[in-house]
Amino acid sequence: MLVNLQGPWSPLLGRLAVSQIPYENPILVGTFVLVVALGMAILGAVTYYGKWGYLWREWLTTVDHKKIGIMYILVGLVMLLRGFVDAAMIRSQQAMAVGPDSAGYLGALHGYLTPFHFGQIYTAHGVIMILFAATPILVGIMNIIVPLQVGARDMAYPYLNAVGLWLTTAGAALVMTALFIGDFAHAGWFGNLPLNELPYSPGVGVDYWIWAFQLSSVGTTLGGINLIATIVKMRAPGMTWMRLPMFTWASLSANIISLTSFPVLTVSLALLSLDRYLGTHFYTAGMGGNLMLYNDLFWIWGHPEVYFVILPAFGMLSEIIPVFSEKTLFGYTGMVLASFGIAGVSWGVWLHHFFTMGSAPDVNAFYSVSTMLVGIPTGVKVFNWLFTMYRGRLRFELPMIWACAALFFLLVGGMTGMMNAFTTNDYMVHNSVFVVAHFHLMLLLIVYAIFGAVNFWFPKVFGFKLNERWGKWFFWLFTAGTATVFIPMFTLGFMGMTRRLDYIPYAQWQPLLDAEMAGIVLYSLSAVYLVAQLYVSLRDRALNRVGADAWGTSRSLEWATPSPVPFYNFAYIPHVNARDEWAWRKENGIAQLRHDRYEGIHMPKNTGVPLVLGALSLVLAFALVWRMWWLAALCLAGIVILVIMRSFAKDTDYIVSPEEVKRVEDALWAGTHARGTEAEGGRGRGAVGGGLSPAHSPSAPK
Amino acid sequence: MSASASEIIDPAKVHLWDRGHHGHDVIGTRTFGFWLYMLSDAMIYAALFASYGVLSHVMNMAGGPMPGDVIRPGYAFGETLALFTSVLAYGYAMAALRQGRAGGVAGGLLGAMIFGAVFLGLVGKDIGDLFAQGITPERSGYLSIFFTLVIYHALHIVVGLLWMLVMLVQLVREGFTGNVVYRLVNLKLFWHFQAVVWVFVFVFVYLQGVIA
Amino acid sequence: MTHGADNPLEHPEVQLANGRSYLLVYLFSCALLGAATWLVTRQAMTPIGLFLLTTALAGVVVVAQGVFLLHMEFSETQRWHTVSLVLFIPLFILTIGLSAWMFHGLYRRTMLMPEMPAPAAAAPAAAGMPSMPAMPGMQR
Repeated sequence: MLVNLQGPWSPLLGRLAVSQIPYENPILVGTFVLVVALGMAILGAVTYYGKWGYLWREWLTTVDHKKIGIMYILVGLVMLLRGFVDAAMIRSQQAMAVGPDSAGYLGALHGYLTPFHFGQIYTAHGVIMILFAATPILVGIMNIIVPLQVGARDMAYPYLNAVGLWLTTAGAALVMTALFIGDFAHAGWFGNLPLNELPYSPGVGVDYWIWAFQLSSVGTTLGGINLIATIVKMRAPGMTWMRLPMFTWASLSANIISLTSFPVLTVSLALLSLDRYLGTHFYTAGMGGNLMLYNDLFWIWGHPEVYFVILPAFGMLSEIIPVFSEKTLFGYTGMVLASFGIAGVSWGVWLHHFFTMGSAPDVNAFYSVSTMLVGIPTGVKVFNWLFTMYRGRLRFELPMIWACAALFFLLVGGMTGMMNAFTTNDYMVHNSVFVVAHFHLMLLLIVYAIFGAVNFWFPKVFGFKLNERWGKWFFWLFTAGTATVFIPMFTLGFMGMTRRLDYIPYAQWQPLLDAEMAGIVLYSLSAVYLVAQLYVSLRDRALNRVGADAWGTSRSLEWATPSPVPFYNFAYIPHVNARDEWAWRKENGIAQLRHDRYEGIHMPKNTGVPLVLGALSLVLAFALVWRMWWLAALCLAGIVILVIMRSFAKDTDYIVSPEEVKRVEDALWAGTHARGTEAEGGRGRGAVGGGLSPAHSPSAPK
Repeated sequence: MSASASEIIDPAKVHLWDRGHHGHDVIGTRTFGFWLYMLSDAMIYAALFASYGVLSHVMNMAGGPMPGDVIRPGYAFGETLALFTSVLAYGYAMAALRQGRAGGVAGGLLGAMIFGAVFLGLVGKDIGDLFAQGITPERSGYLSIFFTLVIYHALHIVVGLLWMLVMLVQLVREGFTGNVVYRLVNLKLFWHFQAVVWVFVFVFVYLQGVIA
Repeated sequence: MTHGADNPLEHPEVQLANGRSYLLVYLFSCALLGAATWLVTRQAMTPIGLFLLTTALAGVVVVAQGVFLLHMEFSETQRWHTVSLVLFIPLFILTIGLSAWMFHGLYRRTMLMPEMPAPAAAAPAAAGMPSMPAMPGMQR
């Protein structure tokens, strides 16, 4: 059954050998030294400050949805940095390797990266940015905000939530391992068949790529189940469907997509791994295989996945824009329908990723039309945001400027997307950097919405605002970088430059490629300002403390609890009376959050099992990559036994006593009161119990 | 549908906090989540069936065995009977659970396990016979997807049998606690879902495979 | 984990169990699939007739099992189970149906069809289809 490998294999170590460690490549050695130094510094700091116990109790074993969300975002940020470094390497190689006279370094004929290395870099860039940066950050934000918005104490399955986090983290760790042991796939983030078959890619790179995908796919599916069940089953009393905040609606539609599409990804990659491990013929060029079947299955997942990342971004815009327009969201019902319209249409467009496959004209026409249909619900959303702003009292604080820029990039990216939806046009620009620029702008719109959302909800989670001045610097530099990279890229696409070139034969493209390089420099510079923003905000946090209602004009339920949110979210589960419940309470002068007595609260207990499951999955995937069968079997058995043992555990939850709740609440309100008076200077926002809207006279808090 | 009411509300009369909150329906929430998982598993089957449709063209046989050479509908109907009987036995276990009869639940589980094992044995013998004739997944694209589909379903049966074993132990140790009951309901969803999936496998792979 | 401290056996989803309806759907499914097997092994009809008949029988059996085994109904407890299944069904159809349609067209246009000489010989000229070469492995 098992295929015969080209090259050595030993029962103990599988394909692993010292020669698989790329010690002769100075770039990778330098990265390795840097990563080890950073890792040692972090571990050393944790040990020095005696924080291991804290780390284990409060973070590694937690089942608290907010902390899990924060860890998702941290994983996403680390991988975002890695993906950005990959991007910088792609850009610098393309700026250096132009024309036959360009010099070559480090063993490359042109530029400094050999074609094989360059292939691995753009593959890693795509995989990381989509699966290990955008997805975890979005899942993290949904994790934090959705239970708060529906008025729940936690997710429906807190334990499963932690399992999802650690599986995703294991996937990210596997991608990082590929950097230093063995190599990574070199056939693009979505994989080109039959290039990814064993005879043509005999190394372990493709296996790394498969198992990293699979781990994150399982993690995201579990997360999707959890969020859907939370929204369907855990809503507070009175939270009817048409009172749900828009971000929750967006999360619901997005997670329906993830729940339905990720299984297809699992199949597409599982069949490839059967080809590579057992010698079947699913995607082979001969023996009755069909390599286009891979593209079909992959993009059945791939296109809905695009909407899985964009719908939460739309939800974030729908939350930010009303707050900073001081108006209710325009066209709520239309927004809900548009979200589900996008989710529905996303299931009938996937062939537009391979229009040039040679399908019959009626097939191409069908997919062309369905792709254009996406523009209708998206247009509804754009106009609803505009009408929300129309005659609103606009305040351009940090979240709002990110949201407005996101709208702009949605317009540019969406219009170029409509151009690609025409099959005739697509035959011209297919696989050119025009398409690359198009989908990068769409993904950047998500990044813009994410930065807006992080600035928007940061005070909710941590109790203080991010610094505005450094944040604005970061915003403008980042935007300048976006423009400088992608306007030349669109131009080069029209001029006929195809994607993934490690060497560009036309010297006359040099100026535009240099401009893209300048854009990357701007991006790098903006990252410095991001770090500075975080540092300054943390340093001056005492000055930036906020109350429950951080922005003063917030509307939905997550603002109806203290900032930072206590671990049980709400001392009493709120009873919802209106859409935009918090705004409704403020308008009616009943925005009182303190209680005179408390009840016991039922909470889940922390557990280390998810962390161990994640670690076992990582080792399992590693063993499968290197074909160490004994280790894989051991890990699989370990996972099964651990899951069964966990099902026998009885001591899984506990009751927080009313006294404990009172102690936590009193401490929070004491802090908030002190902060409230400090922050009183600025427009009366951030007052105790949530600042009342300036338009209404505040009722005296008890 | 007033987003925010304009009339002034009397704070004394409005219901703002849910005091004496009794929590949510844990069993209902858990079975719903498990049902969502089963549906995502159904999506895996859908992708496999799509692959089967694509890879069952005459070119995908690569000159090797045709569906008529590997499929015995009568034998597969025997497998169907075994699986359906197992599902019926599990149904009786659920009927006993409703009446709170632990013995009935254990008996139903044991019956389901026996007939599930019979099903597995029949499938295993079928596959073993084919392998012995040199009809293996490596032979052609068609056989790759045929064996993958059948073995993926059989793997579910293996997992189900293991799960039933665990539930028997938990039933004896813990009795009808909330945890045991919701797991029995989830296992019912799982097991009965395998019957539904088998109908598709049986009809679209086994029966329709020999029609053309 | 029982918050309400109720007897878990009283839960409505446990109370759905019904031995008699399980037995009925068992006999019904076995009978219908048995009939289908008999017809197929006898080759009692034309291939297309058998194809349609077996598909219809599978549909009937699946619906019966969905209703009586899986309790797909719109009661308070089962409502969301049913809604989620109903939302999934179009996706199954899209995944399988659109894939089959795409590849049917692709095979017709790009593969030699030894067993179907008519379309291979006549269709390109008759339908005026451009004889475009296959472009494998090109996708976005």
